[in-house]
Amino acid sequence: MLRSALLSAIFLLVYCQLKAQNSVFDVGLRFQKSVNLYSENGISLNYSSRKLRPDRLFFGFTYVTSRLGSAYKSNAIKQDNYLLSSAWVFRQKHVWRPFVRGNLGYFSADYGDAVFDVLPRHSPIFSTELGLSFKASLPLKLSTSLGYNFITGDGVEGPGTLYPVFYQATLSWDIFSKNK
Amino acid sequence: MKKIIFGFLVLLFFSGCGKNPELSADMLGGGKIFDPLTYQPEKYLLSVSKPTPTTIEAAKPVLIACHGYSASTFEWDEFRIWMDNRSDFYLSQVLLAGHGRTYEEFKASTWKDWQSSIADEYNKLVKAGYKKINFVASSTSCPLLLDMVNSGYFDNAPSTVNIMLIDPIIIPSDKTLSLVGIVGPMLGYIEADNTKEEDKYYYHYSPQETLQQLQNVLTTVRKELEHGITLSPKVSLKVYKSIQDPTADPVSAVLIYNGVKTSTGEKIDLQMVNSRLHVFTRLTLRPNVAETDWDNQTTAFEDIAARIKR
Repeated sequence: MLRSALLSAIFLLVYCQLKAQNSVFDVGLRFQKSVNLYSENGISLNYSSRKLRPDRLFFGFTYVTSRLGSAYKSNAIKQDNYLLSSAWVFRQKHVWRPFVRGNLGYFSADYGDAVFDVLPRHSPIFSTELGLSFKASLPLKLSTSLGYNFITGDGVEGPGTLYPVFYQATLSWDIFSKNK
Repeated sequence: MKKIIFGFLVLLFFSGCGKNPELSADMLGGGKIFDPLTYQPEKYLLSVSKPTPTTIEAAKPVLIACHGYSASTFEWDEFRIWMDNRSDFYLSQVLLAGHGRTYEEFKASTWKDWQSSIADEYNKLVKAGYKKINFVASSTSCPLLLDMVNSGYFDNAPSTVNIMLIDPIIIPSDKTLSLVGIVGPMLGYIEADNTKEEDKYYYHYSPQETLQQLQNVLTTVRKELEHGITLSPKVSLKVYKSIQDPTADPVSAVLIYNGVKTSTGEKIDLQMVNSRLHVFTRLTLRPNVAETDWDNQTTAFEDIAARIKR
């Protein structure tokens, strides 16, 4: 209880601090699909500080999972991707903004039965994305990108459902925007 | 600059289109070497060697052996040699359409053609009166059979159909196969890492058209597994999978195990095999075969023979 209250207080403090700086904090839903494999959906948080290349340099956290995609009510493998990212946005004053993003993270798959414990299920993630985001006057932003995983698995050295090429769309809302 | 990049991409695309490899005469597909089934079918196909069985012969179990992508009947020759002095069941070795012939025939074949060779032999044996027909499949023949199971192909079988899958592929180890629709036309074909002797039984070059077919059947069956396949009461399934299969990602076994249930909702039989080989039951012409590989092969052969006689 005390821990939850403390965490909430810290979050509120950070939130107020960040908001005061009028930075950008895009909170959104990410819809991702690996080419010829699963769709994995989840959340994406991206923050750009007013003091550090505002609206150009973003730091983010993404969680996408097949549990909210291909594995939802199906026998597809349940797998989770946790990503920390950094992105650079070009033409940030324009409606259409190209961007590049680098991701580092962690991949984990759940095979469901102990008989498969001999197979690799975890992997680091190192990927890059090239994309385009659309932002009009509203705080709403739509970003799409094509990504490449530098680390994939072959089922012996790494999990076999970590595929090389993916594409994604993220629909986000800048919760710090005054233009609501 | 944009025009130069675009021109380069167009050139790359069309340079691969229609590109054929240079095949030598000592390779399968080169026009000189053919699978022996093409000129001696009676040695391989039971439907040809015994088209009108007696009542006693028709009651014996039959095992239809189906090979993998780019392979040939050779893949199951060791089983034929192993069972040589047994007369308690029959073996029928299928050659998938487009395989064991010329490169052009391979290139023109589709996964539906490959599957039709399995169905043809099964149908001929049923029509001939054989009552106990079973399958052992390796690699790509496994998804071909799973697709047939999913379609209810064996629902009206004369008796229980035992299907044994050896190193099935649903997910390829080489993930570039997932991009074959994009990069395939640029490459034209890919080369296999076969030994010179293996080149007589396995295609050395895989046309990108057949790789796309391979990707298509894998995607089709993966989605069927995701949706769930319930075996007919007439079908029994067992999967044998190398834990370090370098060609068909071992996670393929996970997808089959989670995706298929018996008619009573139970899990299917599965055996994870301590092996580094793809199709661990084929050892001839392999370099560096270990004692455990021979043990794995013998154990699997004995288990297969026991299952079809249950």
